[in-house]
Amino acid sequence: MTSPNHHRPDDKRPDTPLEQRARELWHEAAQRIDPATAGRLRAARRQALESTRAPAHHTARWLIPTGAFAAIALAAMMVWLPLPKHVTSPSIQAVSATDPSVEQDNDLPPDADKTDPNLYQNLDFYGWLAANNSQPATR
Amino acid sequence: MNSMVSTLDAGMLNDDVRETPATLDAFLAQVERRAFRMAELQLRHREDAMDAVQDAMLRLVKHYRDKPAAEWPPLFWGILRRRVVDLQRRRKVRSIVVGWLGGGRDDDGGELPTWEPADPSPGPLERLRDVQSYADMAAAVRQLPQRQREAFMLRMLEGLDVAETARAMGCSEGSVKTHLSRAMHHLRDQLEDWR
Repeated sequence: MTSPNHHRPDDKRPDTPLEQRARELWHEAAQRIDPATAGRLRAARRQALESTRAPAHHTARWLIPTGAFAAIALAAMMVWLPLPKHVTSPSIQAVSATDPSVEQDNDLPPDADKTDPNLYQNLDFYGWLAANNSQPATR
Repeated sequence: MNSMVSTLDAGMLNDDVRETPATLDAFLAQVERRAFRMAELQLRHREDAMDAVQDAMLRLVKHYRDKPAAEWPPLFWGILRRRVVDLQRRRKVRSIVVGWLGGGRDDDGGELPTWEPADPSPGPLERLRDVQSYADMAAAVRQLPQRQREAFMLRMLEGLDVAETARAMGCSEGSVKTHLSRAMHHLRDQLEDWR
């Protein structure tokens, strides 16, 4: 900043008495501010400077509710969207028992107690049907 | 101790000839009183002036603390100038609202003066040795149009150079020179006794 009481680079003429007097009064008035106002100005300055020294608190103020919200959202997702179970339904079991392609993946025979007895009676028919259904008709 | 006191006094009396301090704390300490005077002169209200200075300090620290120290003066005075203008606009809006509500005219239909907030606290000017001179100058400066007043205060009283004044005022350097020239012309007429 250029000194007010010196000639400025862009101002080649010396200060006029009016300018000098105005500046003199201005600085006197600024220095003679009453103590109460000066104290308030100092307090305002300290407050402004301290506002930058607490960025961590400011971040923490946002992190805590954000973290809480994330935890609640995760809990809600676990309640409403349970993990998928690796249990197939009985109908799928029945079909997979007769499907030759599935049979390779499921070596255990179907449970006799839970399976429809008619399935065993016509096991050859279902096997033939499954084999022909997997090949679409050409006509 | 004596040397410390004399150093302090010298610093207080001649802070206008110092370079911009390297720390924000020192810079704000250097300008806070003059900033208050500038806001007070334009707003004519001590509490509003205090609010304006405080807000300018907060904004400078918050947004521009990482800027080079040489850029702080135009930034700070620019922020303060905008804050003063904001407060003046709010006051004007309040005056208009009061006028709409019928508060702008007296019983005889005469127009009441523009609404000004009450300021009961005693002004520090009473304690100044050159009370009358400062009061005359302040009155003359207040009569200037807004932009001329800003140019005069920033350029002549605060001592910013033309480029810094232009930056603080948000206009070109040519405009600053024009406003300043007109301001000086008006003030010379107003302050004939100072010649």
